[in-house]
Amino acid sequence: MTRSGLMAGLLLVWLLMGLPARAESRASDAPWYVPDHASLQFAGSIGMLAAGPGWAFLDEQVDVQLLLGWAPRSVAGADFVTLTLKAQWHPFHIARGDWSIRPLTVGAAFSYTFGDRYFLTLPDRYESGYYWFKTALRPALLLGGSVGHAMPELGVPLLEGYYELVATDYRIVQFVQNPLTVNTGLFSLALGARLRF
Amino acid sequence: MRYWLPWLLLLFAGCGVFELHPYEVRGGEQHVNARALEKLPRDRGDGSFRFAVMGDIGVFLKEANDAMKDVATRDVDFVIQVGDLTEFSSAQEYGRVASLLNDAPVPALAVIGNHDLLGTGRQLFHHHFGAADLVFDYGGSRFVLFDSNSREFGYPGNVPDLDLLRAELRSPPRGGHLFTFSHVPPWHSDFDPSLKEPFEHLQAERNVVVSFHGHVHRFGSDVREGVRYFITDALELRNYLVVTVAGASVRIEQVFY
Repeated sequence: MTRSGLMAGLLLVWLLMGLPARAESRASDAPWYVPDHASLQFAGSIGMLAAGPGWAFLDEQVDVQLLLGWAPRSVAGADFVTLTLKAQWHPFHIARGDWSIRPLTVGAAFSYTFGDRYFLTLPDRYESGYYWFKTALRPALLLGGSVGHAMPELGVPLLEGYYELVATDYRIVQFVQNPLTVNTGLFSLALGARLRF
Repeated sequence: MRYWLPWLLLLFAGCGVFELHPYEVRGGEQHVNARALEKLPRDRGDGSFRFAVMGDIGVFLKEANDAMKDVATRDVDFVIQVGDLTEFSSAQEYGRVASLLNDAPVPALAVIGNHDLLGTGRQLFHHHFGAADLVFDYGGSRFVLFDSNSREFGYPGNVPDLDLLRAELRSPPRGGHLFTFSHVPPWHSDFDPSLKEPFEHLQAERNVVVSFHGHVHRFGSDVREGVRYFITDALELRNYLVVTVAGASVRIEQVFY
């Protein structure tokens, strides 16, 4: 797990470096790689807690995020460290005074789980095609929404709370196979907070 | 953050609304195999009983649900599922199949399959069902469930564990029959080729009457060194085996639903 620990450290440093840089430079004059926002998420199949930087495009209609997630053995039965790349589209944006509402968010995510017991390419003991999926990589579809409030007194233009319904690939497969079977949970829920600098 | 928020999150987390990771090991029905054995009717002693053997569930959950309902009409005492309860070893599938078997109309036990061993699968099986190797006696006969998914472990030479099997394959308590159950049949390439012959010899030497397997998804039967082998259809094909034991006679039929 040392490699995952290193990754976590690097991401944290990157995130912390991004925070003040953006606060000073404001909008568009910062280089592209300086994050526009940072998120902290609870659950959503990418760890108990996941955090990381994000970048907004197209007038903040599209967000791309990189999240490092962690779930401890004491809660999840095993230690899990994941790296998730998320792309989200917010087609609507309602702004009223200090409030900012994005009622619909659709997106997709790829989550990579670190560790020897998950594979990205099939280990040698299998013939090619033995398993059609990769246990280390989980694609997922996302559906959600967010409500934000301006907090200039904290030096943050916007603090958003969001929820997300996460349908991982295997949940989709099971749901499509058994559409009428009750109890086939398509989604799990994630809750999060996002700071837009 | 309000002080109640962490408690609320913890409450939700307990309800299964939240998934921390696809392979998380927590919650759901536990010790399903042991609980099935507790639910077994008191040993009848006359050596006459019926049990069912079900094939791979994988993504065929609807068919598995129907099979569990059908089994109530067949006058069987219990069910043994021969592995591949899941397709991905995900926590969600494990949780669902554990409750399917736990809520079945008759006691239902599961064997571990190769798809159930991916990622944290071994831990998930242990959490929801218990040890992969299990022995119990019923109606004067002995039932031995074991892990034969050699390829998943890279053919370490002790999957299946023949030393353990040698100890478990003793004469049934009251002169009944000896039945064995595992996912991969011995002649399949996913079964450790170096253990195939020793295993088949052992089964023959101990007078195993029938050896039940899955994995192939298609029904098959064979007699090897005097031991009968049956492979079940996957539940997708909407059938399973019903075994009727009446004293010295053991009858096996494929029932469709």
